[in-house]
Amino acid sequence: MGKVRSTEDWLKELNATGDLQVEAITDLREILLRGSLYSLNRNLSDLANLNRDEILQLAEDCAQDALMAVLEHIHEFRGESKFTTWVYKFAINIALTAARREWRKDVSLDQLLEDSEPYEWLSADHHDLINPDHSLLQQEVWETLRETIRAELTEKQRQVLKWIVFDEVPMDVVVQHLRTNRNTVYKMLHDARIKLKRRLLMQGFGTDEALDLFSLNKV
Amino acid sequence: MDKSKFQSWLLKILETQDDEISCSLCFDLISQYVDLENDNKAGGEEWEPVRHHLNQCLACRQEYEVLRDLTRLGPDELEPPLDKV
Repeated sequence: MGKVRSTEDWLKELNATGDLQVEAITDLREILLRGSLYSLNRNLSDLANLNRDEILQLAEDCAQDALMAVLEHIHEFRGESKFTTWVYKFAINIALTAARREWRKDVSLDQLLEDSEPYEWLSADHHDLINPDHSLLQQEVWETLRETIRAELTEKQRQVLKWIVFDEVPMDVVVQHLRTNRNTVYKMLHDARIKLKRRLLMQGFGTDEALDLFSLNKV
Repeated sequence: MDKSKFQSWLLKILETQDDEISCSLCFDLISQYVDLENDNKAGGEEWEPVRHHLNQCLACRQEYEVLRDLTRLGPDELEPPLDKV
């Protein structure tokens, strides 16, 4: 464990020269390695194909990438959080992205789209979903969603929705596959949700009705 | 799609807001939010967009949860039990 520093100490020493800066960078990298290891350790299910040495090496690589990211963005640090909290988020983001990208590497996203008959993936197990007391209304909700997806979503919105919501593909895998960024994929999902919500509201299904109909609990 | 997955998805649809912050903005704000939350000071209305994004975005939520938990550990608790791998 490196020496304890205040935020001011970190900034001063990282911007210094010579041994003081080298020591600060070494200690920063150690913190980032801890953040990477902790993150990977929380997501071992995504890393089932890697052995312990490979995970440790992945953590080292993530820590190195996080160090580069921190040093590149350090001028953006506004002191609104602790410096260590701020740097941890880089390590966590890089490590969890790396872990998610290990997700079922043998699965092709294009194959997932081709596997099912057109819109077969929009079928629900009605025995599981439908409560006999509300079955007609519940089926109407499901039909509204299905028809909106089929008729109103763009092809890209449908693809992303299927992968992330129905196939549970991690967002970072979709981002990598589409060669885009998280903001773009989130926007596609957001725009799809907007269309679905508007159609449900037009059909008279608001949050209160759905909470009642499907026994939902608000977060 | 099973019942619990469907319920969670339906709730996300119905709670969708016209304006939601991006993943990048969430990343920019998350360290401040976590520090305030650790001091029980993150309950304000101004943080609602971050909370909403975390409820809608699984990737950002996972990162937030790891950051929150990591910053709550003492220095001696940081070594992860990788020997279990």
